[in-house]
Amino acid sequence: MTLFDLAVKNIRRNMKNYGLYIGATVFSIIIYFTFATLKHSDDISVLAETSRQVKGIMSGSAFVLVIFVAIFILYSNTFFMKKRKQEVALYSLLGVRKRTIGFLLFFENMMIGLTSLLIGMVLGFFLSQLFLAILMKLMGLDMAFTFAFSGSAVIETVMVFFLIFLVTSLLGYRVIYQFKLIDLFHAAKKGEDQPKARLIAALIGVLTLVLAYWLALQDLMTSAAWRIFGLAMPLIIIGLTILGSYLLFNSVLVYVLNTLKKRAGWAWKGLNLMTASQLLYRIRANAKTLTIIATLSATTITAGGAVFGMYYNTDQNVEEYIPFSFMWKGPQYEIEADAVEATLDFEVKDIRVSDNDMDREYYVIDQSTFTKLAETLNWNDIESLSDKANEVLLIDPFYDERWSEPIDEIVIEGTAFPISKTYAKSIFNAETLPGAVLVIEDETYQGLTGETASYHAVQMDDYKKHAALSEQLAKTDSLENFSSAVANYQDLLRSSGAQLFVGSFLGLVFLLATGSIIFFKMMTEAEEDKDKYGILRKIGVSKKEMKRTVRYQMGMIFMAPLLLGLLHGTVALIAFSNLLQMNLWVPILWWMLAYALVYTIYYFITVRGFYRTINQEGI
Amino acid sequence: MEHVLKVSHVEKIYGKGANTYKALEDISFTIEPGEFVGVMGPSGAGKSTLLNVLATIDSPTSGDILIEADNIAKMKEEKLADFRRDHLGFIFQDYNLLDSLTVRENILLPLAIAKRPAKEIQEKVMTMAQTFGIENLLDKYPYQISGGQKQRTASCRALVSNPKLIFADEPTGALDSKSATDLLESLSSLNLEQEATIMMVTHDAYAASFCRRILFIKDGRLSKEMIRGNHTRKEFFQLILDELAYIGGDGHDLV
Repeated sequence: MTLFDLAVKNIRRNMKNYGLYIGATVFSIIIYFTFATLKHSDDISVLAETSRQVKGIMSGSAFVLVIFVAIFILYSNTFFMKKRKQEVALYSLLGVRKRTIGFLLFFENMMIGLTSLLIGMVLGFFLSQLFLAILMKLMGLDMAFTFAFSGSAVIETVMVFFLIFLVTSLLGYRVIYQFKLIDLFHAAKKGEDQPKARLIAALIGVLTLVLAYWLALQDLMTSAAWRIFGLAMPLIIIGLTILGSYLLFNSVLVYVLNTLKKRAGWAWKGLNLMTASQLLYRIRANAKTLTIIATLSATTITAGGAVFGMYYNTDQNVEEYIPFSFMWKGPQYEIEADAVEATLDFEVKDIRVSDNDMDREYYVIDQSTFTKLAETLNWNDIESLSDKANEVLLIDPFYDERWSEPIDEIVIEGTAFPISKTYAKSIFNAETLPGAVLVIEDETYQGLTGETASYHAVQMDDYKKHAALSEQLAKTDSLENFSSAVANYQDLLRSSGAQLFVGSFLGLVFLLATGSIIFFKMMTEAEEDKDKYGILRKIGVSKKEMKRTVRYQMGMIFMAPLLLGLLHGTVALIAFSNLLQMNLWVPILWWMLAYALVYTIYYFITVRGFYRTINQEGI
Repeated sequence: MEHVLKVSHVEKIYGKGANTYKALEDISFTIEPGEFVGVMGPSGAGKSTLLNVLATIDSPTSGDILIEADNIAKMKEEKLADFRRDHLGFIFQDYNLLDSLTVRENILLPLAIAKRPAKEIQEKVMTMAQTFGIENLLDKYPYQISGGQKQRTASCRALVSNPKLIFADEPTGALDSKSATDLLESLSSLNLEQEATIMMVTHDAYAASFCRRILFIKDGRLSKEMIRGNHTRKEFFQLILDELAYIGGDGHDLV
């Protein structure tokens, strides 16, 4: 029998042992291949051309994914080898040469790798087709569905994973040289040290997180922190957050659990003691993984929340700068439709004002025009200038208290007009009449000199329904500076829809990845813990209680990084929406809910799997 | 109540159809309170099967097993778990300690599961640890102590909830002779002083000689019963060896 035959037979007979490992590798390959296919697909390339951000995000994510997948497989492999050390020791005991055993392990590993590569790519191919179909639907593109097979995705995936498998196989080859026979036999029986937490490390952990959050919530413009650190701020915040998360898992939680465990009143009740001590090991041993998961979750939640927020707020964005359904300069144009709510025809004067050394341009309208327009737009703070002939109102859509210089008065043709009120919103469609608007009392307006033009604004009952009308109007040559809310809306929807897809897809990948890491980790630990639960059963722990401790343990392992990730994400999104002055709460809450839901499903699957595993050996 | 354990006509059959194997055949005996009973027999005689069936870890094919008034052969799994917790104690050859818990925590586990108040737990653990001479090891972890100390910890755990019946499965199997003697002496004194009822399965004549009564089992049937009576332990040991030589034809088979 050749060595190759032996390796093949080994895998075939130990299928069950290999199951978890093969599952982990196949899973990684599916995710990576799906991602690679999407990255190289024509539809995404079209997208990438229009938006360099998308391209940047895709290649950045590919890099993160490679690292992630490599760590994941390496971890699974380490565990897998640990389980097989005894078998290896037996070969050695029977007199097989180390070299031969090394080659056997190497072959075996390569074989598993190549087989998983094949399976993973076939499954990944179908998954990617599904995602492509979803993408087209989201962007509103009606394309015939065709299978998109990407050669470069195959090459990329094969290269990445071949390298990973080569490394793990070499590690396998080395295992036999690293250990003495006696170590190999006792590999599974090493005593574990009880984790201890220093109070000081726990305190530093909490402080680090608080500091990171505080920095994140500083105002970009006014805070001293931003002045001092400048562009390094985001990096500092991220660094502190990661460090804080790690310390939280490594020390804070360990400290809390240790304290709980020492409190006899709580610990010595049912399986609390067992739950706490299992968690202690698990959290300490998994501190790095949990940190990665919390960070990944935070990233996913933040990115997804931001992108979804933009998508969700598309109409708000449109209405902010394009308040009227249609607006144009020039002649009247009769729109024959029932849906017209209001048609306004008015006159605008264009004046120049010297302010210090700068010339500013203002559009001026009279009080009655302003009242008509504002009433149509349902403004509820319409100021009247009827008895204040020497004052003006300023409407500046781009006015922002934080960085615009406040203007108190405006000098027009030698007369100073104090500004009685400033509106920071649009009264005109920005595409037709961009810039600041002054409102002046009717008679004073008559006396102003300036280029006068007539404009027309139309308000429909629901602008989103009138795309066809909008196209028709846009084609009419006589309408100058035509602007349309629905056209803007569609444009914005298309670009933010694409971003939403890329964002959600990455979110989904990371979510699947994080969920699966925990799942596989817990399943492997279930294998290790089988005996412990066997003992518990023998000393009379009921199934109900056993289930409960499993639920608590898994719950903690799942909840801790999720909660931390949500917290990080919340802080980041608060900072984000402060910066953009957007109210993102509703979409963000939806996004977080969706994330937590998928996560919860993983939790239940894991609890089930764990419980099954520890019960496998019937008493 | 006369007996602690009453076994009547217990049978255990493995396999199905024509391909069956009778591991236990028509076994009946009783154990009275305060007894220290040994079960001996060659490998494959059915010792462990018997113990598993009595310990509710396995269920008999037919027959009744009464522990005081409860028929455990007819109990449901959930109730069995409670029953094991409340009335039975176990000592295994491979200790079965949880390595993530300290010695103290391992011992108190049955009491914690039974939800006893912390103060009572504390006291009971201390008393039990003193009986077995491991009170200095309470805060150590299993991997920090020796095999004999581990087995004494396991014994403490089995006894701490004051069970009606203690099952010991080859408790000295993995111990050196000094540790084995220490453990057996502790068990024996517990039996004498606190009237703990113990049933111990062993194939070691030396360990068996600590018992008050020995049941011999062969090919799934009870073959003989020996009572120590007024013999010293040494004399009893000799008697057991003689008996083993007689039923096995050759003593080496058994050890």
